[in-house]
Amino acid sequence: MYELKVANLVGDRCVTSEDGQKVYDEIVPKLRSNEKICLDFEGTTIFASPFFNLAVGQLLKDFSSDKLNELLEILNLGPNGILALKRVIKNSKKYFQDPKIKDALDTTIEEEAEDK
Amino acid sequence: MSSANQFSIPTINDTPSDFNILCELGNTVLSSTGNVIFDFSSCQFLRPNAIAFLGGMARLIENEGRKVTFLFKTAPDKVLTILRQNGFAHHFGLLEFSGPGLSVPYREDPVGPIRPNLKDDIIDYLTYEWLGRGWVHVSTKLRDAIVGVVWEIYDNTFEHSNSNIGLFSCGQHFPRLRILQLAVADFGIGIPRNVKRFWQNRGIELSSDRCLRWAFQEGASTKTQGTRRGLGLNLLKDFINKNHGKLEIYSQDSYALIHDKKERFQNINNSLHGTIVNIILRCDESYYYFADEIPVGPLF
Repeated sequence: MYELKVANLVGDRCVTSEDGQKVYDEIVPKLRSNEKICLDFEGTTIFASPFFNLAVGQLLKDFSSDKLNELLEILNLGPNGILALKRVIKNSKKYFQDPKIKDALDTTIEEEAEDK
Repeated sequence: MSSANQFSIPTINDTPSDFNILCELGNTVLSSTGNVIFDFSSCQFLRPNAIAFLGGMARLIENEGRKVTFLFKTAPDKVLTILRQNGFAHHFGLLEFSGPGLSVPYREDPVGPIRPNLKDDIIDYLTYEWLGRGWVHVSTKLRDAIVGVVWEIYDNTFEHSNSNIGLFSCGQHFPRLRILQLAVADFGIGIPRNVKRFWQNRGIELSSDRCLRWAFQEGASTKTQGTRRGLGLNLLKDFINKNHGKLEIYSQDSYALIHDKKERFQNINNSLHGTIVNIILRCDESYYYFADEIPVGPLF
C-alpha cells in the first residue's frame, strides 16, 4: 500500500484546487496500476470543497465507486474534513456516474425558466 | 486629467437602504471623469461592507489612471478611529498606525492563480485577525470549520469574479450587539452576469434573482471542465443556517439573504458594480452546532 501524508505535500490547509490537483496527480497513476492508496490527513486542520473536488472528486470520472472503496483509504481526517469530503463525493458521483441525475440541475433551472 | 470631483461619504451601515446608498455612490463616482476626492464630514459611521467597497472603488478608479484622495482630516473622530484601526487610512496615505481596537484589518488581495503564500495569508487573516481575537468563544475545531467555509467565498471570487483589481475585505466586532462581521467586496463581473452568460449559452434566459438562487444550489457551477464544483455557496449557506448567522450577497442588481433558516432572493433597483458578501456571526458559543463524530462507512 502506498501511503501519502497529505500535510507533507500541501501543508495543513487543504483548501485550494491547486493543492487538490497535486494530490490527484500523485495518486492517480498508482490507482491506475491497481495499487492501494492510503491518504493520511494527520496534521491537517482546515478544509474546503475546492481542494476535495480536485483531490478526490475527479477520481470518479476515472474509477467506479466500488473500485475507489476498494483501493482508496482515508485516514485521520477530522469531522470538518469528512463533512466536506462527503458532500464533494456525493456531488461528483451525480455528475460523473449517473447520467440521469447529471442533468438534474439543468432540468431544475429549465423548469424555473419556463415558470417565468 | 487635472480636474477633480469631490464626493461626500455619508454614514453607511449595512441595511438594504445603506447598500442602496453604496450603489448610488459607486455609480456616481465611477461614471465621473477626472480625479476623485472623498470627504468624510457628513459621515458618522462606516460598517465593514462600506469600507471594503470604498477601498475597492478607489483602486478601480486608480486603475483607470485617475487619482483618489481621501480627506481623512474631515472625518469625525469616531470614523477616523475606525479607519486608522483597520488600516484603511494607512492603505490610502495616512501614515500613523493605531492599535486594532475592535477592527479586523482592511486587506486587499490580487486575483489570479492562488499563490501558496496568498492562501496562507488569507487563512491566517480569518483564523487570527477575524476569529482569533477572543470575540467568538469557539473550539479550535469549530474555528477551523468556520475558516474553511468562509474560505469558499474567497475561492469563489478568485475563480469567478474576473475582477481586474482584486478583492477587498474588512471586519468589525460589535460587542454590544455581540456580533462579528466580515465583508468581502470585488468589482468583477458579478454573480448574475456570470450565471446568465452560462445559461444563455444553453438557450435559457434568467432574471438576476433566479441566477443568484441557482448559484446557491448544491453542485451549481458555471465551470464545467474536468471536474464537478459548485459547493462553496451551498456549504456556506448550510453553515450560516446551522449556526444562527446571517449572510447577505449584493451582486449587480440582485440580493440574497440567508438568515433564520430562511432564504430570500430578489432583484433590486440599483445595480452594484461587482459583489459584496456580508457575513455576520453571533459571538455566543451556544449558537454553534458542531458534529464531533461523523459516521464514515464506505465513502464512495
